[in-house]
Amino acid sequence: MTSHGLLALLVICQLAAPAFALVAVGLPALVGRAPSETLTRRFVGGGFGAAFVAALLTLAALAVRGFRPEVVHLGSWFSVGHHDATIELVADALSVPYVCFSTGLCLLVNLFAGKYLHREPGFTRFFVLLALFGTGMNLMVLAGSIDVLFAGWEFVGISSTLLIGFFLERGNAVRAALRAFTTYRVCDVGLLTASVVIHRAVGSGDFERLFGIDWPNGTCLVPATTATVISLLLVFAALGKTAQVPFSGWLPRAMEGPTPSSAIFYGALSIHAGAYVLLRCEALLEQAFLARAALIVIGAGTAVHASLVGRVQTDLKSMLAYASMAQASLILVEIGLGWRVIPLVHVISHAVLRSLQILRSPSALHDRHELEAALGGHPGSAGGQRRSWLPARWEAALYRIAIERGYEEMLVGDLVVRPIHRLLERAAAAERRWIEWLAGDRAGGRR
Amino acid sequence: MIANMSPETAGSWILPAALAAVAAPLFGSLLAALGVARRVPRRLAVTSASIALAAAVAVTVLWQAGDGRAVTFGEKFGGGWPIHIDGLTAALLPSIAFIQLAIVLVAPRRDLEEEMVMRTLLCTAATLALVCTSHPGLLVLLWIVTAVPIWLSTKATPGGRTAARVFSIYLAFGTVCLTAGVAMLVADPPWERSSGLLGVVGGWLVAVAVMTREGIFPFHSWYLALFSGAPMSTALTATMPQVGAYTAVRLLVGHADGVASELEVLSQAALVTTVYGAALALVQRDLRGFIGALSLSQSAVVLAGLSGTLPMELNGAFCLWLSSGVAITGIGLVIWALESRAGPIPLDSLQGRFWDAPALAGFFLLFGMATIGLPGTFSFVAGDIMVSGTLDDQLHAGLMVIVSTVLSGIAVMRCWFHVFGGPSAVDSPRHAILRREKVPMTVLFLALVAAGLNPRPIVLMLERAAAQILQRSRPEDHGHGHGAAAEHPRIPLFSFPPDPCGFPEKKGMPRC
Repeated sequence: MTSHGLLALLVICQLAAPAFALVAVGLPALVGRAPSETLTRRFVGGGFGAAFVAALLTLAALAVRGFRPEVVHLGSWFSVGHHDATIELVADALSVPYVCFSTGLCLLVNLFAGKYLHREPGFTRFFVLLALFGTGMNLMVLAGSIDVLFAGWEFVGISSTLLIGFFLERGNAVRAALRAFTTYRVCDVGLLTASVVIHRAVGSGDFERLFGIDWPNGTCLVPATTATVISLLLVFAALGKTAQVPFSGWLPRAMEGPTPSSAIFYGALSIHAGAYVLLRCEALLEQAFLARAALIVIGAGTAVHASLVGRVQTDLKSMLAYASMAQASLILVEIGLGWRVIPLVHVISHAVLRSLQILRSPSALHDRHELEAALGGHPGSAGGQRRSWLPARWEAALYRIAIERGYEEMLVGDLVVRPIHRLLERAAAAERRWIEWLAGDRAGGRR
Repeated sequence: MIANMSPETAGSWILPAALAAVAAPLFGSLLAALGVARRVPRRLAVTSASIALAAAVAVTVLWQAGDGRAVTFGEKFGGGWPIHIDGLTAALLPSIAFIQLAIVLVAPRRDLEEEMVMRTLLCTAATLALVCTSHPGLLVLLWIVTAVPIWLSTKATPGGRTAARVFSIYLAFGTVCLTAGVAMLVADPPWERSSGLLGVVGGWLVAVAVMTREGIFPFHSWYLALFSGAPMSTALTATMPQVGAYTAVRLLVGHADGVASELEVLSQAALVTTVYGAALALVQRDLRGFIGALSLSQSAVVLAGLSGTLPMELNGAFCLWLSSGVAITGIGLVIWALESRAGPIPLDSLQGRFWDAPALAGFFLLFGMATIGLPGTFSFVAGDIMVSGTLDDQLHAGLMVIVSTVLSGIAVMRCWFHVFGGPSAVDSPRHAILRREKVPMTVLFLALVAAGLNPRPIVLMLERAAAQILQRSRPEDHGHGHGAAAEHPRIPLFSFPPDPCGFPEKKGMPRC
C-alpha cells in the first residue's frame, strides 16, 4: 500500500471507528435490545481508542513529511446539475492535532462516565449520544468540503441538545436544552446560507476550490466580496455555538446536563466548534476585513460581559460556564486579529484545563474537606482582595448589571422572542376560529 | 434476472407490473366490501398493500433496467396518456405503496375495522392509479375518487364532523376549479404551442385547484382540520402522496411558453406557506396540530420547487416529495402509536412520556430530525439539492426554505421535549413497542438512511424524469408505448440541443 493510501485509511479510520460504535450501540438500543453497561462502554471506548490511535499515527506521518496536507477524496456523494456534493476529508496541521485532542478527551470522558453514570437509567443513551458527538466532531474537523462540515456540525448540535436535556424528568433541563437548540438553529442559518453561497461561487462545496489548503498559510481563491459574504455568514454561525452576545444565554443553563458531557461540550469541544470553523477558513477571513472586525468587537464585548457576569455567580458550574465563554470570546478576538497558531494553542490548552475543572466540580466540597483534613484546619485566605477603585454607586450598578446577566436575555426576550411568539399565537387562534366558523361549530370539533 | 433483460423486454413488463400495483389494493377493497375478511381485516389490508408494494418495486426496477423512456398506453388526449409511466411514476409508486403498508401495519386495532380497510385500500388504489396517468380526464376522475373515501372516513369518525365539513368545502371548491380548468386546457392546450385566453384561464383554475389540494395559503385550513379530526391513517393517506403536486407536474409544468405564470405564483404562495406552516407548528397546543402544521410546511416546499426551469430545480422538489413523505409518515405513525396508548397528547406542558415508551421517543426524534434534513438521511440530500436549486434562481426562495427548515427543526425539538420530557407519573403504565410497530418504523427509517447514504440512483432517476417533464413541450419527445405515442422517434436522454433555449447542465451557459 502506498503512503498516500495508508494515510487515507488512517483518516477514514478516525471517522469510521466512532461511527461504528454509534451504530453498534445505537441500533440495538433503538429496537429495545440495549447492550450491557460493560459492552456499551467498551464499544464506545474502543471506537474512540481506535480513532485516537489512528489520529496519532496520522500526526506522526504528517510530521515526517513536514505537515504537507493530505486531501482524501472519497468520491462524489451525489451530483445533480452544477451541484456536486463531494466527500472530501483533509488531514493537515489543523485537523489532525484537533482530532488527536478531541478523541483523546472523548476517550477520557468515556472512562470517567462509565463509573459516574453507573446504573443511571439513561446510561446507554448517554454513550450513544457521546458516540454521535464524537462522530460529528471528527466529521466536522476532518471535513474538506462545506457539505461534510455541515453534517458534522449538525450532529454536534443535536447530541449537545439531547445531552443538556439528558435528565428528561427535570423541567429545567428540558427548557435549557430547548433554549440551546433554538440558538443553534437560528445560527445555523449562517452556515446553511454560507454553504449555498459557496456552491454558487465555485460550483462545489470543496474547500480546495475556495482556498488553498495549506494551513496556516492558505490563499484565498475567490474574490474579496465573496470571501467577505461567506466569512460574515460563518461568523454568524459561530456565534451560537461559541455562546457570544446576544446568543450567550444558553451556556450557563447547559450545565443542567450530566457533568461528563458538560465537561466535554461546554468546557472543551462544542464551545470551540465555531472557532475551529473560522480557523479552517482563515484564508477567507484574511480577505474579509468586515468579518474580522465583527469578530473582534463581538468577541471583546462578550469577554467583558462574561467576566463581569461570571464574578457574581453563586454556583460553581455557572462560574465555569462564564469562564469558558470569556476564553472562547478571547479566542475569537485572536482569530479576528489574524493570528492562527495562537488561537489553536489557546483552544487546546483552555479545553484541557476547563474540562478538568468541570469534571472535578461535583467533588469540589469533598476536595476542600480533604484539604482541610490534611492541613488540620482551615487553609487560610487564598490571597488578598484588592480594594475596588470604583465609586460605591458604580460598583452597585455594575453588580446589578452582572446579577441580571447584562440584561441580555431580558432584551432578547422582550424585543424578539415574545413579540414573535404572540404573533404566532394570534395566527394559530385565528386559524382555529376560521375552522370553527367554516364548520358552523362554535363548540369546536373532536378535540 | 431483471438485470439481464433487454431494455425493450423490461419496458414491456412495466405496464403489467403497474397494473398489478393498482389492482391488488382495489381487489382487497372489494373483498373488504363483500365482508370476506370480517375477522381478519388487518391480514387483508397487509396482504393487499404488500402485493402492491412488490409490484411497485418491480415497476421501479424494470424502469431502471429499461431505456429510460416513458411507457405510455392508449390514445393521447390533452397532452397526456391514460397510462403514462415515467421516472417520476417509477419513484412515486413504491413510495406510496410503502407508506400505505406501514400505515396498515401500525394501525391500532380499533382503527382498522372492515369499513376503514375498504376505504383505505380504495384510496390507495386510486392514488396509485393517479400517479400512473397523465390523461387530464382521468386525473380529474381519480382526484375525486381519492378524496371521497377520505371524506367518508373522517365523517364516520366520532367527533370528525368539523374536519369532514372543512375538508368537503375546500375539496369541492378545488374539484370544481380543476374540472373547469382541465376543460379549458383541453380546449386550448398550452403544451405544444402558446395558449390563448382560454388556456391561460384554465391554467389559473388548475393552479387554484392545486393550491387547494396541497393546502397552500390561503387554502390551507383543511390540512390542520383533517389532522385534528380524522384518524391518522386517513390524514396521512390524504396528504402524503401529494396528489396536488402530481397534478401540477402533469398539467402545469412543461408548457410551450416556458414556466407558466400561474406556476410561478403557485411557487411563491408555497414558499409563504412553508414558512407559515413551520411557524404555526411552533405554537400548536397538541400533537395532532403539530403534525398538521409540519406536514403543511413540508408539502408546500415540494410545490415551491416545481416552478424551476432546470432539471436540478425540479429534482430537488421530487427528492423532497419522497423524503418528506416517508419522514412525516414516520412521525405520524409514532404519534398514532402514542395516542393509542395515552389518548390525545397536549403540548402546553411537559408530558413526561419518555419512560413509558423509550423506543417511540427514539423513533419520534429520528423521524423528526429526518424531516428537517438529518445528515445521512435522504432528506439531507433532498434539502441540499432543493436549496441549491432554488437559490440559484431566486435568492429569497432559498432563504425562505432555509428559514422554514430552521423553524421546523425548533418545532420538532419543542414537541419532542414537551411529549417526552418532564416528570412521569409514578403509576403510569409502561408500554413496550409492539413488533408490528417496530418493524415498519425501523424499515421506514432505514430506507431514509439507505437512500441518504447512496442517493445517486434515486437522484439520477428523478433528474431524468425532471428533464423529460421539462422537455414535454418539445414535439420530438414523447417516449414509447403501446398507443399512438409509440410512433414518435426515440431521442436519447440528456441530449440537450446546443441552442440557447436548451437546459444548461453547467453554470454559465445561457438560459431560456
